[in-house]
Amino acid sequence: MGKRIEAFEFKQCVSILKSTGKHAKNLRELRTIISKIGSESIFHHVYQYFLKGHMLEHTNDFAEWAGESLEERALAERLSMIDPYTFKSVDGVRNELLRKIDSFLSSSPRPHEVLSGDEFYFNQTISIVFPVGVKTKNLAEFLVAIEHMDAGSIYYHFYDSRFRLGEGVADDFSRWIEHTLGKKKLADKIRDIDPFMHSIESIREHIRGILEEHVRADMGGIIV
Amino acid sequence: MINQYSGIAPKGDLMLIQHLCKKLQGKSFLHVNSTKEGGGVAEILNRMIPLLIDLGIDARWEVIEGDADFFDFTKKTHNALQGNKEKFTRKMWEHYYEVNKRNKKNINLDADAVLIHDPQPAPLIDFRTKRSKKDNSIWMWRCHIDVSNPMASVWTNLKKYVVQYDTAIFSVPKFAKSLPIDEFIVTPSIDPLSDKNIELTENEINDVSERFNVPRDKPILLQVSRFDKFKDPIGVINAYKIVKKYNDCRLVLVGSSATDDPEGEIILNEVKEYAGNDPDIIILLLPPDNHKEINALQRMSDVILQKSIKEGFGLTVSEAMWKEKPVIGGAVGGIPWQIVHGVTGFLVHSPEGAAFRIRQYINNPEMAKRMGQQGKEFVRNNFLLTRQIRDYLSLWYCSMHKGKNIIEL
Repeated sequence: MGKRIEAFEFKQCVSILKSTGKHAKNLRELRTIISKIGSESIFHHVYQYFLKGHMLEHTNDFAEWAGESLEERALAERLSMIDPYTFKSVDGVRNELLRKIDSFLSSSPRPHEVLSGDEFYFNQTISIVFPVGVKTKNLAEFLVAIEHMDAGSIYYHFYDSRFRLGEGVADDFSRWIEHTLGKKKLADKIRDIDPFMHSIESIREHIRGILEEHVRADMGGIIV
Repeated sequence: MINQYSGIAPKGDLMLIQHLCKKLQGKSFLHVNSTKEGGGVAEILNRMIPLLIDLGIDARWEVIEGDADFFDFTKKTHNALQGNKEKFTRKMWEHYYEVNKRNKKNINLDADAVLIHDPQPAPLIDFRTKRSKKDNSIWMWRCHIDVSNPMASVWTNLKKYVVQYDTAIFSVPKFAKSLPIDEFIVTPSIDPLSDKNIELTENEINDVSERFNVPRDKPILLQVSRFDKFKDPIGVINAYKIVKKYNDCRLVLVGSSATDDPEGEIILNEVKEYAGNDPDIIILLLPPDNHKEINALQRMSDVILQKSIKEGFGLTVSEAMWKEKPVIGGAVGGIPWQIVHGVTGFLVHSPEGAAFRIRQYINNPEMAKRMGQQGKEFVRNNFLLTRQIRDYLSLWYCSMHKGKNIIEL
């Protein structure tokens, strides 16, 4: 009898948007609200940015608002460089946001107001996590599953995991490939995908490409 | 029934709907609105109620009845909530309440979850019956209109009812208010299986092209909307006129022929006059139920505009995107929620901006095709009816687990 392989169970996360009823029309108001708002809201605007599914100029909602609505490009660039996965808690991210905004305010003391309707609306989410009914036991099955999963599933396993699993653990996929399948080099290749430089669909393509190459090599080039 | 959406809606949405229906099996879900047909709410309820029943939910849909004074009043409140100045008397507000009180006698409000749509039936919350001390029924008020800048006195009066609900639901965050109750955001949706959006054959499209005399010999630019100054039809004609200097094309403006809107007729006449006798500007008035015809006109178009300068949500954008059309929208209301600038379409702020983007699309068919495809996927993931059903069920389920930010099924 061979060793029993622990299957990879695909799950998905659906987020229901909840309004906090708070909004900011200039940078000082934004700063004040960021300093007081619940961590769920910071989490949503920073960590869940990638759930939107499109690769844009920025890497979080605050940076996008600073660039697109406030038209403060330098601030947008600085906020975009915040890597939330390097912080142990949401409060760490909150403090970094405040530090960048304070630094900007000290050199640009007269921030203007955005047009009516372009205010920053603080939201948060309630996430529902559910199994999608797919379990894979080997790389070939895993490859097929990756191709067909909804974007919400890729998000859950590739992005959400970074916060859920804590510092040092990148994503559910590479963790399973390394610890269950024992393929560390392959896992490293997936870990090397920069989460900030791709849309979810592009992440899917990258993972698919890496896996396909590996599976093809494993099968001696039989798969065309 | 849910299987009809397999291969169309995201698998995860269908799966979550099924998971939640199992959890909510046998529970009752009452929807109340003020019209059985016409309008987006009725359209959605018509599809949603049978689907929920099929999945084991005891779903009901009740419609409140009112007299002419009631509906005149609610139309006025609708306009006032969207920022228009209207005159109201205390008597009108009393009548509004009385009509709801009368309806309460005919409507069984006893349900595990109650979703009241829009301001017309909002006072029904006053007649909420507690079935027992352990009653866990959830009452939700769903606001489908833009209340971001309402006439203050009207909102104050309505708010008295709204705050009695457990939850309020708005279409986009900027419509949400500062309220002492939970507020959720549920964007509207389109039904991919309705006549307005279902796949059509080339023959069906050609038939409409011939019937309405819209030749397909040059690029077609289309805007489908009421003749209303906020939809900026004159701005669309201006954009077309700029484009025409560089690229031959045809502009089709399609609106509803409803004659109960005197302002609509005035604007229509202005538009006709402004279009002059340009044979490449086609203005069509269609009956409100000509959904398949609108569908065909959208499918035969090369660029679809919704160049509004004020907008609620603007679902015509999602309708166009679902048909893989390159879209251009005014950056107002819910349009930026649908158009991710440069990815699923272009947002514009002027006729000149619209003209520039039209030229870009016409001259870069590959880009137009790519953005059209991305638009369709964006709608698939965000603006289909199944997502809205998923959200309502999720909200209900979340309300039963209040205080939790992550719920594992």
